[in-house]
Amino acid sequence: MRRINLDACPECDVLLNRAFPVMGEKAHCPRCGYLLQRPRRHSIERTFALSVSGLILMMPANLMPLISIKIFGNSNDGSLWSGVVMLIKDDMWIVAALVFLSSMLFPVLTIILSLLISGHLFFDKPNPNLAVWMRWLQHLDEWAMLEVYMLGIIVACVKLSSLAELKFGFGLYAFVALLMVAVTLSSGLDHYQFWQRINDMQKQQA
Amino acid sequence: MPDSVQRTAAFILSGYALYIPANIFPIMTVSRFGQGEPHTIIGGIVALVESDMLPIALLVLVASILVPLLKLLGITLLLFCAHFRWQINARLWTRLYRVIAFVGRWSMLDIFMISILVGLVDLGGVASVIAGPAATAFAAVVVLTMMAAKMFDPRLLWDYQR
Repeated sequence: MRRINLDACPECDVLLNRAFPVMGEKAHCPRCGYLLQRPRRHSIERTFALSVSGLILMMPANLMPLISIKIFGNSNDGSLWSGVVMLIKDDMWIVAALVFLSSMLFPVLTIILSLLISGHLFFDKPNPNLAVWMRWLQHLDEWAMLEVYMLGIIVACVKLSSLAELKFGFGLYAFVALLMVAVTLSSGLDHYQFWQRINDMQKQQA
Repeated sequence: MPDSVQRTAAFILSGYALYIPANIFPIMTVSRFGQGEPHTIIGGIVALVESDMLPIALLVLVASILVPLLKLLGITLLLFCAHFRWQINARLWTRLYRVIAFVGRWSMLDIFMISILVGLVDLGGVASVIAGPAATAFAAVVVLTMMAAKMFDPRLLWDYQR
């Protein structure tokens, strides 16, 4: 059987000869302009390192107080988790679930999946689940919304600044660090290279 | 994506239906010293403008009113285009699709802000914030429009071009 090496553009499905961009170059689809490849230096190692640091930051960012307020001597502090708990207490199940998923669970899962995938690739250990994990990672990436949560914190602070005294907690610093890790993680992950490696590994096995 | 047009249409119609309660009902109630004032989304923006925080007001206006509305309309246009096989500049329309898919997540801003306020401002009689029924509807609109954008297959824009 004659094998043909063609790529299909994920967005408009046009068939293309494989592009070989070097570091610093980008390959776009000639028809629709979709960004096909963007090689990243040391993508596997970087992803591995960043996902380890993300896991460490996860606990303090989710559970420690982000901000504390003081109104007429009464004070209270809020974390990511306490917002979810209060929403459940007010019987806002759907909103609570959505906030929990998009600001806590999905970010954790994307980091764990990145760690699993890059770990297997880094140590050259084939695993039949690699492709499944990779697909899940691509789906979950869209629903993890730490950067939107950050903007929510800023707007909430501005709204409260006229009413109350605000203090930033340790959780906020951890959250900002986690946000930066998550953003560099998802932008530094070279999907094309990852898929290529997974494919090569499976071929070696067979 | 199988049945892309039908699935997208189903999500987008549910999105339109829930956009109405999301804007009429109060999204949160801020009570101070036992007196509560319910706020709608627009009410919250007006309050921000009145307290001279125009940039933040604009940000909330864009994220929670304009983006969901333009998304609903934009996906509707894409659907019409795919269904009636309009002859269009497909490159431009693909760009429209990409913008819609990218901005969707930022509408969650209001929901996250409420989650923070509800968790933080819980001082019994002095001050408290309670989420209102519109929060659920608004969250549903955001999720439904994101699903609609995900279900829409941009290949449909290219398939019938001559």
